Amino acid sequence: MKFIEDIFRSAGKMFEEGKPLHKLYPLYEALDTFALTPGTRTKKAPFVKDTVDLKRMMVYVVFALMPCLLMGIYNVGYQMLTAKGDEVRLVEAVWLGAWKVIPLMLVVYAAGGFWEVLFAIIRRHEINEGFLVTGMLFTLVLPPSMPLWQAAVSISFGVVIGKEIFGGTGYNVLNPALTARAFAFFAYPAQMSGDSVWVALDGVTKATPLAVVASAERGSAAVGALQAAGYNFQDMFLGFIPGSIGETSALACVMGLAFLLLTGIASWRIVMGCVIGLVGMSFAFSFAQGPQALAFFSLPPHWHLVMGGFAFGAIFMATDPVSASATQAGRWIYGILIGVLVVLIRMINPAYPEGVMLAILFMNIFAPLIDHGVVQAHIASRRKWVALIKADETR
Amino acid sequence: MKTIHIRKGRDLRIVGAAEKILEEALPVHFAAVQPFDFHGLRPRLLVKEGEPVLVGTPILEHKDNSRIKVVSPVSGRIFSIERGEKRALNAVVIQPDGKQAALQQTKFSSSAFLHLERRQIVEHLLSTGCWAFIRQRPFQRIPDPDSQPKAIFIQAMNTEPLAADVDFILKGRQEEFQHGVDILSRLTEGKVHVCCSVQAKEPALINVKRAAVHTFKGPHPAGNVGTHIHFIDPLQKGEAVWYVDVQSVLAIAKSFREGTFIPERTVAVTGEKAQQRLYRKTWIGASVRDIAGNDSYEGTCLISGSVLSGRAAGEKGFLGFYDSQLTLLPEGGRRELLGWMMPGWNKYSFSRTVLSALKRNKEFSVDSDEHGSHRAIVFNDMYDRYVALDVMTFFLIKAILVGEIDEMEKLGILECAPEDFALASFVCPSKTDVCGIIQQGLDLIEKED
Repeated sequence: MKFIEDIFRSAGKMFEEGKPLHKLYPLYEALDTFALTPGTRTKKAPFVKDTVDLKRMMVYVVFALMPCLLMGIYNVGYQMLTAKGDEVRLVEAVWLGAWKVIPLMLVVYAAGGFWEVLFAIIRRHEINEGFLVTGMLFTLVLPPSMPLWQAAVSISFGVVIGKEIFGGTGYNVLNPALTARAFAFFAYPAQMSGDSVWVALDGVTKATPLAVVASAERGSAAVGALQAAGYNFQDMFLGFIPGSIGETSALACVMGLAFLLLTGIASWRIVMGCVIGLVGMSFAFSFAQGPQALAFFSLPPHWHLVMGGFAFGAIFMATDPVSASATQAGRWIYGILIGVLVVLIRMINPAYPEGVMLAILFMNIFAPLIDHGVVQAHIASRRKWVALIKADETR
Repeated sequence: MKTIHIRKGRDLRIVGAAEKILEEALPVHFAAVQPFDFHGLRPRLLVKEGEPVLVGTPILEHKDNSRIKVVSPVSGRIFSIERGEKRALNAVVIQPDGKQAALQQTKFSSSAFLHLERRQIVEHLLSTGCWAFIRQRPFQRIPDPDSQPKAIFIQAMNTEPLAADVDFILKGRQEEFQHGVDILSRLTEGKVHVCCSVQAKEPALINVKRAAVHTFKGPHPAGNVGTHIHFIDPLQKGEAVWYVDVQSVLAIAKSFREGTFIPERTVAVTGEKAQQRLYRKTWIGASVRDIAGNDSYEGTCLISGSVLSGRAAGEKGFLGFYDSQLTLLPEGGRRELLGWMMPGWNKYSFSRTVLSALKRNKEFSVDSDEHGSHRAIVFNDMYDRYVALDVMTFFLIKAILVGEIDEMEKLGILECAPEDFALASFVCPSKTDVCGIIQQGLDLIEKED
């Protein structure tokens, strides 16, 4: 205990102002406060501070992602084994999956971390723990067959363009992990979409449930098409379907959500809004369904919830407090519109079967506008309230 | 009488409350007048080192308005004049002779209080030095004697952590309090609002005449003046209200009867490190050692006021002019291995990210540790849960940081004081100094005025 403190103290001397390594101070600060609490004292009111710091909050989000990560690792192996027609054994599936997922994750953390540290040094701001979350999120929304270099380039784009040019964590407009994914999506479409990327074996093609429904014949029943392709609701809920690494299991996402809500980290309003928007919009479409409608129109809302990246996106991506709406009323609007947009893109847009990523990014851009509206409404209601009290007073 | 429910905010559950025992004063070895007790005061020094002073001898005057004076709380000799950076005046330290001989001004009989003219009252308050007991919102400064407030608020409750109990202080002083209210009521055309807790039983408060009594229910900051103003008579641009705390009301009443400045104050000695946690009679500006009476102050953070809104006094510091509480907080600063990951069974937090959240009604031992390093704001929705005022804290912070005065005013900054945001500062995981930012915004507006 004491000796660790001493090591850091003596090492810290090299990073002081005027010393050769001063430029690397953010890196030292990050490691130092990672190992030991900073132990700084308050100098002015309030003299006591809450135990919680940003490290804890961010690390708890990473904890919340653990079910998705573990399930993702297992499912990657599971998909490989079933594609080969082998019997699925737990250890083997985890082993195979880990070999795909862990290198990807390490590369993402290394590449993104490099930019994070570089910018912290150049811009002289501290290294923000938010990157622990960004790196994990980005890894979990990649297809398991993603080439490592492409993952590295994409996360670099996400960190630099999505975040650092705005001033770093806390100042970004877009969710950096999603920015990185959007970059990958448009820059490397062959590795990010289609039917051949979801199972990490060469030459194996398997359509995701969303792709199955999107390509089903007009007028046919979506559920029937899914069942014909071998998908049932239970598998989709549990996550035994091809897809991006961490997004397939709605159950794992819900476990993460439970943890985030229990610890009070994520905004339940946003998640609730997303669900309401999605369910409401897909209901609306099912009423509008004609005889020659797209198969998607007949997909019941509860299937929408467990398909594709909706659960993962709504729980982990949309709730990013920096890029989401910052007002309570705004969060409802923001969430609901994400849900609505997801359904719109899934159903009406012929190019992309999945719409979660674009829906959230789109609403990230609109979040400040929503907030502006809410703030203006608040100012107006304040004025009314003052008038009300005045009237009360004179009576 | 209407009860106002405050739903936002939270009481800080920490150990160290004072027992309801009133002790006589310890001998005061040093006392001081500290210019920074008075927000916005530009002090001009009126005394020299070694000069004898009486209770009520002017020590400082306001450079912008020489009628506003700060007077000596004790009789004795000027011991030293302490200056800080850029020769800013930190404190005028006085060595008391213990006689408390006072500078005499006009006396009034209590039957005359209700018939005094406003001008007479203002003159008396200014000449005795009692004018400084009155403060104004916006900006928390001593008001201009020529101005008129739209209302006067008497803060007769205190929800700060471990705060002095107003009922206890008022016990047996009903008449004096009523006199104070009567005098203050002559200063405004508007109302005098007495704001007390819903639990207040003291007849001095409940049966007060010539004032509107309001009761507040709910957690801290239900007792803050800012909260009271916000819910009773919100401030708009160009308006001002004055506010006075209970002990100052008592002092004002007594000063009219005795014709002198009244430096008496009852102080709650609180905090885990205090050896005797009780209420002690003392004088304004007395040195904290002479109030706390501890044998040792090692590892103690001495605060004049509460942990949320007080000021660091240091071992050689003095009681603030408006403070009725002294907090002896254990000093933090111990580095803990992987602290951000520890379950935190004994760590105090408003959040549910530590196990101590399961201990519902326990009082926690806290220290002056920051518990984390400074980061950019990420969790921007936490503040409003702990700010009782209907302001959008995060957006107010943003408006202040970019210097948008118009936006700040629309969002309601004029009602605010830093203390109203103390819990937001407390709770921020990025350790943002919300109070400091609010002060920065107020300073900016004050400068533009």
